[in-house]
Amino acid sequence: MNASTPTRPRIGIGLIGATLDKGGQVKRWSQWRPTVALALHDDLLYARLDLIHQPRDRKLAERVAADVRRLAPETEVTLHPVAIADPWDFEQTYAALADWADGQPLDPERFAYDVHITTGTHVAQICLFLLCEARIIPGALLQTAPPRGDEPAHGSWRRIDLDLSRYDRLAQRHAARAAYGLAFLKAGIATESPTYNALIAEIERVAGVSRAPLLLTGPTGAGKTRLARRIYELKRARHLVAGAFVEVNCATLRGDGAMSTLFGHTRGAFTGAREARDGLLRRADGGVLFLDEIGELGLDEQAMLLRAIEEGRFLPLGADREVESRFQLIAGTNRDLHAQVTQGRFREDLLARIDLWHWHLPGLRDRLEDLPPNLAYELGEFERREGRRVTFSREARAAFLAFATGPDATWRGNFRDLNAAVTRMATLAPGGRIDGPTVEAEQDRLARAWGGAAPAGEGEALLLEALGPAGVAGLDRFDRVQLADVLAVCKRSPSLSAAGRVLFAVSRAQRKSVNDADRLRKYLARFDLQWHTLPWNGAAPGD
Amino acid sequence: MLTIDGSKGEGGGQIVRSALGLAVRTGTPVTLENIRAGRQKPGLKRQHLTAVQAAARVGAARVEGAELNSGRLVFEPQAILGGTHEHHIGSAGSATLVLQTVIPALLAADTPSTVVVTGGTHNDLAPPFDFLERVWLPLLKRMGAQIELRLERAGFYPAGGGRVVAEITPGPLSPLTLDARGEILTRRVRALLANLPGHIGLREAETACAALGWTGADARPEHVAADGPGNMVIVEVACAHAHALFSAVGRRGKRAEQVAEQAAAECAAWLALDVPVGPHLADQLILPLALAGGGGFRTVPPTLHTRTQVQTVQRFLPEVAVTLTPEDHEDGPWALRVSRR
Repeated sequence: MNASTPTRPRIGIGLIGATLDKGGQVKRWSQWRPTVALALHDDLLYARLDLIHQPRDRKLAERVAADVRRLAPETEVTLHPVAIADPWDFEQTYAALADWADGQPLDPERFAYDVHITTGTHVAQICLFLLCEARIIPGALLQTAPPRGDEPAHGSWRRIDLDLSRYDRLAQRHAARAAYGLAFLKAGIATESPTYNALIAEIERVAGVSRAPLLLTGPTGAGKTRLARRIYELKRARHLVAGAFVEVNCATLRGDGAMSTLFGHTRGAFTGAREARDGLLRRADGGVLFLDEIGELGLDEQAMLLRAIEEGRFLPLGADREVESRFQLIAGTNRDLHAQVTQGRFREDLLARIDLWHWHLPGLRDRLEDLPPNLAYELGEFERREGRRVTFSREARAAFLAFATGPDATWRGNFRDLNAAVTRMATLAPGGRIDGPTVEAEQDRLARAWGGAAPAGEGEALLLEALGPAGVAGLDRFDRVQLADVLAVCKRSPSLSAAGRVLFAVSRAQRKSVNDADRLRKYLARFDLQWHTLPWNGAAPGD
Repeated sequence: MLTIDGSKGEGGGQIVRSALGLAVRTGTPVTLENIRAGRQKPGLKRQHLTAVQAAARVGAARVEGAELNSGRLVFEPQAILGGTHEHHIGSAGSATLVLQTVIPALLAADTPSTVVVTGGTHNDLAPPFDFLERVWLPLLKRMGAQIELRLERAGFYPAGGGRVVAEITPGPLSPLTLDARGEILTRRVRALLANLPGHIGLREAETACAALGWTGADARPEHVAADGPGNMVIVEVACAHAHALFSAVGRRGKRAEQVAEQAAAECAAWLALDVPVGPHLADQLILPLALAGGGGFRTVPPTLHTRTQVQTVQRFLPEVAVTLTPEDHEDGPWALRVSRR
């Protein structure tokens, strides 16, 4: 305490307790009266007490005021009659107290405020708490208690400041909880990429409070499935969901079976439906449904899904009554759903519904700073899975990281490639130690898988990227080889015309082709592809 | 400017009150630092602010830091104002402590004073009015002080509402030596009761006598008028040369027997050593004796309060020497002596 910086005079605000503050001529001095006791504490000093009372309690209020003035001559007492018809009615009480507070010249710069919450109905106490918490009354809460045993008559008091930031241990707990959530979502991998970490922090905040659908986009192998599962586990650990995690890749759902798999069917709904079956949506009731590759879902299924998300109910195949299921949807895709909407392949209303929370997971190439922690994580996972500890030699680790973060490493399959690479190296490591030769062999393997040495491999990956697994499965081998090479050229070309010039170079030289770009556009259209919606050309879904 | 470390010695409210009273009396500006620093709730409390206010009025003092919980107080007295002073202290401290803070100064004012204090007159942790009237006042009168004290109404915690009036005619104090108490003349136990049933007082009177082994002493309940309930056990011993009074406050939840035993135990400790001055009286005689510039007394082994009071007084009155020495051994009688340097 410094004498040169005067503290703000304190003003107490409280309700006259129709029961607790009552008392007879002499007897009242034998009772503990909360409001009067405010004037008894040697370590509480009010410049003023604003006492709110029901108009019908005027006599009681005046006696309380007189007693306070007598016990604390340094305290000014003002009485505020406020009518509350039913002090157990939350709405009335809050409105009355809030109106009163609005009419007061509350000035936290000049005065410190205590709001005494020991008197009044529980409803009134809650209202005072809310008014303080909302800073409508910019004060601390004051809780008083009667003396215990042979304690002096004033009892005890406690000041509770609702400014959470002033409570170090609470703040620490809060931070620790959030930090735990973050580490959890990242599967304990101490990632360093600032964009990725910011993204995870946002997911942690949203997943902690929202039951709205979440959309995860990003290239194959970026970790959508793993993240979806971690979100579910975090929500379950925080008691936000009780149901199961149900996961399905929509690319595997084709034709009639898709409806039945998702929404279930009744017995005899169709030929072969010998038993009734709960769909995946029903199994996800109270839990989380992860629909990966949601872009592959048929339009009919999309319509049903939209209704299920919005209403929490849907009609199983063959059923005449809807069933209920409340689940949180997490959707994953590597496609640009907006482009799909333009092409009429994805329902706009469904996209609008699942696009509320949308995060784009970057590929491994875009967050190379996270490669070392992920490498350590994959090794740990291998050990956990195989029960065998495998380590890198120092040189081997340096060599692998140099290659992995170098220009030749495209990491086309993202974390899936990293997982495979680590699994191979760990399996082949002589004596549980990954050495130089092991790393060199793996580098060759990865380079072949990604690089120019095997353009077919690149084309296959591009096919997958552009059409999705289902799309690729629907191609004839004849088309697949051709399209793969076309896509590889497209990927390397800055524009449709540039790609056309490469692809039709011979015809061009013979002046047979007038418009290479148009020829290419028509070719791509045969596969429902457009230049600007190719995965690597379209605007990143997260932008 | 004198600087007093309020955390030294007893480290509580007594340093504050003594320093304020002495500052006004001697016209010494003082800075109190680390006020009650070692206490569970450090700094100035309402009862100390009451004393600051009373002293400031009498001393027309400029004050800085007179705030709740303040650990530092600057107090610069400008005068000693006689006349009429009324202090309404409510539940903040005790009327008797306020009187003891301002009376030494008012004895040196230019004009007579009337001091009225309303609040508690029979509080815990403060001398009751009866102590001032029957023990402290007769000794001050023997030193030449012209003071009259009147209890107009008793005030017990928590209702308060008591009223005491002090009439002070300024004049010098002369030394007093109090080395023997003389033979015991009367023994009394008074169980003060306000708005409480008589059986409490009967039990207290009985218990106190039994604890002291007193038979045939004048021991009885005494009903007093007050606004709220109140109870105090007062054990008094009148000797040929000195009067002693010990008290304990009763309150809800505390057994009457316990209250009586507490007062009796203090009396028994004083009786056991053949000295005239008990521990509380010792604290309160040091200041007047130092102002008188001579005299002394024999007393019980000094408490921390007593030693601290000696130190505080010496800071303001360096021209007198106050010594405290044991007569034979530390647990026996001690002698306090005041002399001019």
